[in-house]
Order: sequence, then C-alpha cells, then structure tokens
Amino acid sequence: MKKYFILSFMVWLILVALRADNAALFRTPAHWPKPTYNFDKNPLSKEKILLGRALFYDPVLSADSTISCTSCHLQYTAFTHVDHTLSHGINGRIGTRNAPALTNMAWGKLFMWDGAINHLDMQPLAPISHPDEMGSSIDTVLFRLRRSSIYPELFYQAFADSTITGEHFLKTISQFMLTIVSANAKYDQVMRKEKGIVFTAQEANGYQLFRTHCAACHKEPLFTTDDFRNNGLAVDTTLNDYGRMKITKNPKDSLCFKVPSLRNVEFSYPYMHDGRFATLQQVINHYTTGIQLSGTLSPLLSKPIMLSSNEKVDLVAFLLTLTDKEFLFNRAYSFPKEIFMPAPKE
Amino acid sequence: MYRHITVVILSMICTYYSSAQNVVRVIFRNVWGNKPLLLDSSVYATKDTSNVAITNLKYYVSGITLLHNSHLVYSEPNSVHLIDARMPSSSTVLLHLPKDVFYNKISFNLGIDSTTNVSGAMGGDLDPTKGMYWTWQSGYINFKLEGKSNACPTRNNEFHYHLGGYSHPFSSIQPIVLSTASTDRIVIEADVAAFINQYDLGTQNSVMIPSLTAVSMSRQAAAIFSVRK
Repeated sequence: MKKYFILSFMVWLILVALRADNAALFRTPAHWPKPTYNFDKNPLSKEKILLGRALFYDPVLSADSTISCTSCHLQYTAFTHVDHTLSHGINGRIGTRNAPALTNMAWGKLFMWDGAINHLDMQPLAPISHPDEMGSSIDTVLFRLRRSSIYPELFYQAFADSTITGEHFLKTISQFMLTIVSANAKYDQVMRKEKGIVFTAQEANGYQLFRTHCAACHKEPLFTTDDFRNNGLAVDTTLNDYGRMKITKNPKDSLCFKVPSLRNVEFSYPYMHDGRFATLQQVINHYTTGIQLSGTLSPLLSKPIMLSSNEKVDLVAFLLTLTDKEFLFNRAYSFPKEIFMPAPKE
Repeated sequence: MYRHITVVILSMICTYYSSAQNVVRVIFRNVWGNKPLLLDSSVYATKDTSNVAITNLKYYVSGITLLHNSHLVYSEPNSVHLIDARMPSSSTVLLHLPKDVFYNKISFNLGIDSTTNVSGAMGGDLDPTKGMYWTWQSGYINFKLEGKSNACPTRNNEFHYHLGGYSHPFSSIQPIVLSTASTDRIVIEADVAAFINQYDLGTQNSVMIPSLTAVSMSRQAAAIFSVRK
C-alpha cells in the first residue's frame, strides 16, 4: 500500500513539474480566456521551442530551399507579409490568399481563412505541401532534417530521440507558434490600468466607436471571435474564392472567411483574405459604404455603419493602440542565430 | 542490489501476466475474390471484363473489441492500426486477452474517429508521414485504394480512392461487426473485387475529398470485410 502511495506521489510530482515548466514558458495574460490548445499533450520545453523556432526560420522546408515560414510571416510586420496581396511561394508562384498575421495561436480553434485546418499541430502541413507555397512534402522535409548536420542533435536534445518523426516535427513548430503571444499593446496597458498610461481623447472616442460597431466580431481581448463570417466583400472574379464553403460544402458558409485578430493591425497590411485593401481607411470605408448585400452577409452588417470623417480618424487612432512593440521586436521570436550561426568554439 | 530485486519483481510480474493472458492474432488478409491480392504486377478482371492492377491499398482499423452475443468482453487499449498491403508485417494485430474470455463477434471501425481527427499531431500509425493524412484540409484518410485500369480514361489510366472525412455530414468512419469463433486466430478478409465491381471505373475513378460520395463508398468499403471460416 505504502509503495503505491510513494509511486503515485512520484507520478504526481513529475506531472506538477511538467506543468510548472509549461507555466514558466507560457502564461495566459490576466483576464484572458483559457487557451484552446491542450498543453498536456505537448508540454512546452525550452529545447522544443528553440527547435520549432529554428524550423520556422529554415528554408529547408521548401522544395528548393528558398522559402521558409518567415518568408510570408515576418515578425516585424506582425508575422505576415506586407505589400503582397497574395502569398508568394517557390519559383515565384503566387497563391490565392493573403498570408495571415500570426498571433495568439494558442487561442485559435480552426486555422486558415477558411478553417481548413483543425489543429495548430497540423497547420504547417498545408504550406509545406502546397505547390504554390513550399511545394514539398513532410516526408521530403524529414528526410532532409535527418541528414542535416544540426537537426538530429536538436531533436535529441528536445525529445531524447534523434529519429525525427512527423509527430515530433509538427509538435516543435507548434511549441514555437504557441509562444507567439501579443498582449502588451497600449490597449492592454490601459486595460491593466498601468501607471501613467491612458488613452488620448481621440483614442478613447475611437474605443467607444469600436465597441459599438466592431467588437461583436473583433471581440476583446483577442480581437476576434475566431469564427467565419461574410463581411460583405464583392467576389473577386479573378479568384472566385467562396471561403469556408469550400470546406463545409454548406451554402450557408458561402463567402464566409475567418474573422482576423486586429492585434498589430497597423503593421499587417494589406487587409482581407485577398489583400484588397492597403490601408485601414479603406477598410473602414468598406464597412461604412462598401458592403455588398448577399444571402450570407453577417446580420451585424445588414444595417449600414455610419461614421463621420472625424469618427473614422478616431477609430484608426484606437486601432493603432493595438500595436505591441514588445511583440514585434521580441528577440525570443526572431531568427535563432545561436543555431544557424553559432559562435566559433574557443 | 536494488536493481536485482527490481529485475526479479519485473520478471515475476511478466510471468504472471503471460500465464494469465491469451493472445489472439487478428490477421487482415487482402484478397481479390478467392485469390490473395498482389500489388502492381497482377492483373485482375472486373465484372465488366476490364483489367485492374492495384498499386496501393491502405486502411485504418481502430477500436477493436470482442463481444459475446451483445456483451463487450474485450476492448483493445489505444486501438489504431494502419493495414498496408505493401507491408505484410502490418497485417497482424495481436490482442492480449485475459484468460477464459469467450466471444462470438469481433467489431472494429474502418477509419479514425472524429476525436482523434481533431487532436493534433500523433505518433505511431497515426503519424502524418504515413501517407494517410490530408494536407490541404485536416483529417485522416480512412481507406486508400489506388491502381490502374484500361477502363480509366485518366492520366496513366490511374484511379484514386481516398476515402475520409470526420465531420457531419461527411463522416466516413464505418463500424464493422463480424461473427467469429472463439479461436486464437481470426482471419479477416478484405475483398477488393467486391469494392471495385460496384463502380464504373470509366466515370468514377477519382475521389479525394470528404463528400457524400466518399461516405457512400466508405459504406461499400466496410462491406468487403468478412471473417474467413
């Protein structure tokens, strides 16, 4: 009996230790909802996060070793590709959608503009395999990693196993993506009532307008409901992209796209699934005067949103308070020099 | 010293369990009619006398249980197996039963359940490197059959059936219940001819996405399994 007690105590200790480790590497910001991601199935460790970060920055993932995740998801621009309306891939190929900004993925439920991906772990398979993105396959990638001079060692350090399985590969990339958290914009500091930080009169007015007209879909604190809605964009006949309906085959989902988070929206231009709007002003003008009526239009947009030009300026002023400089310049998310360019040994 | 004691205890536990257990071998045998299915080289005739060669046959078997009448008497823990016609070693599943368990039915799913489908990256037979995971849209392929036929007006006369889909209304997992004797060797045959002969290869030669067609074909795929008496 005593033996069982000691044994279960030890198991409990190990579990607690793992959770503590996870807590040190990932913290849910105060007053935020619980993350969607199940960390128990993929407990974070420093080694795994670093390995995932190395993979995120390594073009070995693409067929001709020219494109890495960061090619379309640059940290300094909120992990998206500015100035490109549609994503770019190997051999100058161009995809059909705008690369989304990556932020707070631990709270994500379905990924991609149409929710084709049901779990963060599985997300990298899509760009790796897509002929207009990395044009490779997970088998090719793993074959290369196993023969590389650095990865078997890194996988060994992370998993005590240098085999490099698909599961381990995907879980490390998830680990890095999970750590990409933006929760320290001026907005957050104001909400936390940090000393000396307040909205300007213009920002405060913009915040009120935001809560009235935008927050139902761009729900605080993540600034998205993370579901799929038709926001009244006219169909681009060069793409004929009907969004979520492609996945569900349900006509009710026609023209529904994922509601993107607005965090760091100052830097994540161009906007919308096809990058059709270059500026926040254009986006706001769309919502005030550009809505195309259709059967699946979000009911929240069926009545026109009325904003004066001053109000539009105030709204933009508020949106700029969602810029999180700490996130954009966090060294923990940037190119892992220590792996790719280690200091020469003495 | 302690190490020796541990070894002794462990071996005692092992002996105890092995004596109290009964191993049942479940063997999945892929056939064309009454002949063993051979990949690539063998050419088979369909009911409308076209020629067919099978180049790839892989499917998931999950949730294996044994029943006595309708009572559950055994359920395999973590029960997921990828049966791959190209890998003979994948065709045998060993069930470790407690002694004196009697059954007259075996049940299993053809495919992967929806919970597993939404649970992220997994290893072993569920590793996404097994060629049974879609990349453009999340989800496992439950049943994959590929080959060539002179009836297919396609590139290289190929046909591809990738049957899967886990969410309503395209859930394609199929429960299968088969009668069997309480033997320590259950041979389950999957008759590929019984599947192919249901379809006109000239028109229905490519199914690669979750759809109502895939659901109906999955039902047909489930119907090709039988216990060899």
